Amino acid sequence: MTEKAKRNYTLKVWRQKDAHDAGRMAEYRAEGISPDASFLEMLDIVNEQLVRKGEDPIAFDSDCREGICGMCSCVIDGRAHGPGAATATCQLHMRAFEDGATIVVEPFRARAFPPVKDLVVDRSAFDRIIASGGFVSVNVGSAPDGNTHLVPHPVAEKAMDAAACIGCGACVAACPNASAMLFVAAKISQLSLLPQGQPERAARALNMLKRMEDEDFGNCSNHGECEAVCPKEIKLSNIARTNREFIRASVCSDE
Amino acid sequence: MKLDSKIPSGPVQQKWDKHRFETKLVNPANKRKYEILVVGTGLAGSSAAAALAELGYHVKVFCIQDSPRRAHSIAAQGGINAAKNYPNDGDSIYRLFYDTVKGGDFRAREANVYRLAQVANNIIDQCVAQGVPFAREYGGTLANRSFGGAQVSRTFYARGQTGQQLLLGAYSSLMRQVGKGSVKMFPRREMLELVVVDGAARGIVCRNLVTGDVESYSGHAVLLCTGGYGQVFYLSTNAIASNCSAAWRAHKHGALFANPCYTQIHPTCIPVSGDYQSKLTLMSESLRNDGRVWVPKKKGDSRSPDTIPEEERDYFLERKYPSFGNLVPRDVASRNAKQMIDEGRGVGDTGLSVYLDFGDAIKRLGESVVREKYGNLFDMYHHITDENPYKVPMRIYPAVHYTMGGLWVDYNLMTTIPGLFCLGEANFSDHGANRLGASALMQGLADGYFIIPYTLGGYLASSKLPKIDLGHAQFKAMETAVAKRAQELLSIKGKRTPGDFHRALGHIMWDKVGMARNKKGLEEALREIPKLREEFWKDVNVTGAGRELNQTLERAGRVADFLELGELMARDALHREESCGGHLREEHQTPDGEAKRDDANFAYVAAWEHKGDDAAHALHKEPLAFEEVHLTQRSYA
Amino acid sequence: MGWLFRTLNSSIGKKVQMALSGLLLCGFLVTHLAGNLFLYGGREMFNHYAKALEENPLLPAAEIGLLLLFLLHIATALRVTYGNKRARPVAYAKTACAGGKTIGSATMVFSGLLLLAFLIVHVKTFRFAPDRSDLYAMVMAAFQNKLYAGFYVAAMAALGLHLSHGFWSGFQTLGADHPKYTPWIKRLGLAFAAAVAFGFASIPIWASLR
Repeated sequence: MTEKAKRNYTLKVWRQKDAHDAGRMAEYRAEGISPDASFLEMLDIVNEQLVRKGEDPIAFDSDCREGICGMCSCVIDGRAHGPGAATATCQLHMRAFEDGATIVVEPFRARAFPPVKDLVVDRSAFDRIIASGGFVSVNVGSAPDGNTHLVPHPVAEKAMDAAACIGCGACVAACPNASAMLFVAAKISQLSLLPQGQPERAARALNMLKRMEDEDFGNCSNHGECEAVCPKEIKLSNIARTNREFIRASVCSDE
Repeated sequence: MKLDSKIPSGPVQQKWDKHRFETKLVNPANKRKYEILVVGTGLAGSSAAAALAELGYHVKVFCIQDSPRRAHSIAAQGGINAAKNYPNDGDSIYRLFYDTVKGGDFRAREANVYRLAQVANNIIDQCVAQGVPFAREYGGTLANRSFGGAQVSRTFYARGQTGQQLLLGAYSSLMRQVGKGSVKMFPRREMLELVVVDGAARGIVCRNLVTGDVESYSGHAVLLCTGGYGQVFYLSTNAIASNCSAAWRAHKHGALFANPCYTQIHPTCIPVSGDYQSKLTLMSESLRNDGRVWVPKKKGDSRSPDTIPEEERDYFLERKYPSFGNLVPRDVASRNAKQMIDEGRGVGDTGLSVYLDFGDAIKRLGESVVREKYGNLFDMYHHITDENPYKVPMRIYPAVHYTMGGLWVDYNLMTTIPGLFCLGEANFSDHGANRLGASALMQGLADGYFIIPYTLGGYLASSKLPKIDLGHAQFKAMETAVAKRAQELLSIKGKRTPGDFHRALGHIMWDKVGMARNKKGLEEALREIPKLREEFWKDVNVTGAGRELNQTLERAGRVADFLELGELMARDALHREESCGGHLREEHQTPDGEAKRDDANFAYVAAWEHKGDDAAHALHKEPLAFEEVHLTQRSYA
Repeated sequence: MGWLFRTLNSSIGKKVQMALSGLLLCGFLVTHLAGNLFLYGGREMFNHYAKALEENPLLPAAEIGLLLLFLLHIATALRVTYGNKRARPVAYAKTACAGGKTIGSATMVFSGLLLLAFLIVHVKTFRFAPDRSDLYAMVMAAFQNKLYAGFYVAAMAALGLHLSHGFWSGFQTLGADHPKYTPWIKRLGLAFAAAVAFGFASIPIWASLR
């Protein structure tokens, strides 16, 4: 077997010193990149070169590098998490980019995700949304036996589909309206499907959606870009379910 | 120093009950007067913080990522064990305890393991109640599977994302407390110093990773839930930010570090493809149920696998272990792969992999059955390597996956520094020399949900902890130390990047302190690591400034600590003149290549004390007694 | 009544108002189109229908209701759009479609504004025409003007585009979603959009070619 031919790229990367800086695009060369390197490993190589030259490397978030922690972000060539379906940026490989290509790399952009530095943004709005109701109020020690409430297999599967959300924020980044509906809907769906989520079902929907609005996310207008970029393929049907939950909670509950 | 493990007396079944009864309680009204600092938000940290806040304590929680939900517990795939015995197949708390002690190759504490098995059932109940979508049978009951060669089906799972779902459950409980105001969350903070006042842990000093500010926090107790140190090998299945720094700082303040050489190597990872690689990806070991592991019989055989005839292939696991074949335990499979590669029979561009061939399985079962069983793993492999495993054999290589060693803790999970507790993978406690599949998640949550709420209360109720403020000299001293160290790193302005040093350390660790160790290699490592460390402090280049988001500086600080920990790992591995679990000394093997324990001389926990930067570590031994599970030699031949 | 105010002002509440008013307006389009098709039956048939409609005592109430529906739909659209624009203060240097957006969904504001302009002209031309004695003649005369007929056809194309997203989107917002019937709602939406746009546009084309 012969080693695969190395590739060269031109990067146009958003550089922004801190939250107060205006920011600009800067150009870098990425040379001798293996097509088997991941996109973030390509950025690692560029950064190592920058450090060797004494320049400030490009700041970007990443952690698990296997598509599950949701820490990595970036809009690459106009797509959140770059080209390729059902992948986070860390699972994107350079073989997806032709040799000699120019690649545009930007941070996730939304008022609710204020910039921190370069490609790093602050997604703590998501944590505040979960803190407003994305839980079941059950203290440690007071849980009944796990088999007390039966959950039909298809319902458990559907709840798991929604629970697979990694909270990366690509849905917000990709949405023309910077709406967080898919993220919020994933959690509301998971817990409204399961028996354990029933006692707080109405309050959860109202509180989480209220928090979402207060965080300055946009409104959902059913474009479906969120679903198209979601690394975990969370379905738009969760948003429809959340709409039902909201209407039900607003009109029929005591909340 | 005399190590007191504080294991309660009495039969193993009654120790925890007895201990809980004898442990002092904190008056409910007094709980709100205590401030607890929790560092790390993986399974152990999130569950501990949530459980303590529910009891009424004031909790401050710190994590290095942008959100507590990102901690690396999230990447655990397989499942979580509990002795529910739902399948009616003969499981019991005692059997789970027995299997775990035996699986740990008799280097774990019986009392701790028994307690772990006891509370495991409560963990499942708690997680179900939180809305964790565990797999279900068609009748709606919880599904179980057999995992990692266990003879009973006791593993609960949520697809291949069990760690994610359990962590998100704990995270949701944590965020509920954040919403109530009983937990204050501090993301993007890295703990860089422990503050010890009058001999007790009373606070931490962090770097705010966004602003670079040095920040102090005081409390009545500090809980380290900072995970394992597998990243010392540079390439591992751990996350990029996983590090040993918080534990190492505590170690330097007097917390003993136990069994640092016990590392677990997972046999079925996707192999390294180049030196740019930042991460190794794990594939479920269930692949070995149908895949056959082989290498060419001839050295340096570079023919493509489909042109190598059957008689020129060496199915080495089947040859050496006829009864277990490809299903031998993790450490055995890993070591044998390494041996083949060391013999020059490795395959792939780099020669650093062995084949895991599904050709026979596809012939026998048909492609559609194989796809149904392993489709997602095959897709993942195809996606990463660009090779289609339905057409060409998979290539696999072992990777560092979990570290059983960690800070020494007593039965209360308290380190040798009063008020400093250590939970989850960061402590050394329950897995001995080898961790069984699906028991890491169990331990993290057991520590956080069901053990620390009792034992921490016992400590607080029986200690006098005067109020201290952040102006205390010890806080000031530690703040200065943190700032000084950052300044030192920034001012070297050498030629090599922190990444260069990390890779160099990783090579030494993998080659000489990896899955098979020998005296010569370890002694070399003990010469090479200090030399590399010296070079690091002369020649590292850290760009930027201290008071800003500076990922190069973060990395440099972590690598500096790995350069010290790596040496201790080698020292521990060298001193342990036996093989056990994940620690294999080539000098100590049975004739058929099995780990050969020396129970007469090494049935103890090796707890190392830091005696100063220029002095050698001192060894303390905690003897291990096996009253319930009788010492036997593992055999898979 | 605090709950009602909160609900109507919430993100989903606004979308529900959009969806309900939009779907009711779809109903209006059906009746309007059915009426228009009487033009194909000739002067007598159309004027007979128009007379019956105008003599219906409920017509003023219906017209006011219709006006309110339009106003609600437009006002809510503007509020929602303002919120959406505000939610992304810095635009991307490069954007690409990931496969969710359609031309219809991406142009809702523009097709909507074009339809608003059309609506004003349309109401002025026909509803408030100076001479309404022979409505058939009035309509046919208006469509003799090629420029007006062209504008009408263009507006109907915009209507088709608007409905291609709006019809399905309305159901989605109201939570009417299921793998069993959502694909059919989507198909029905496209068919409805095409039928309505073509149905309306066919008349000026036919009239101007006569």
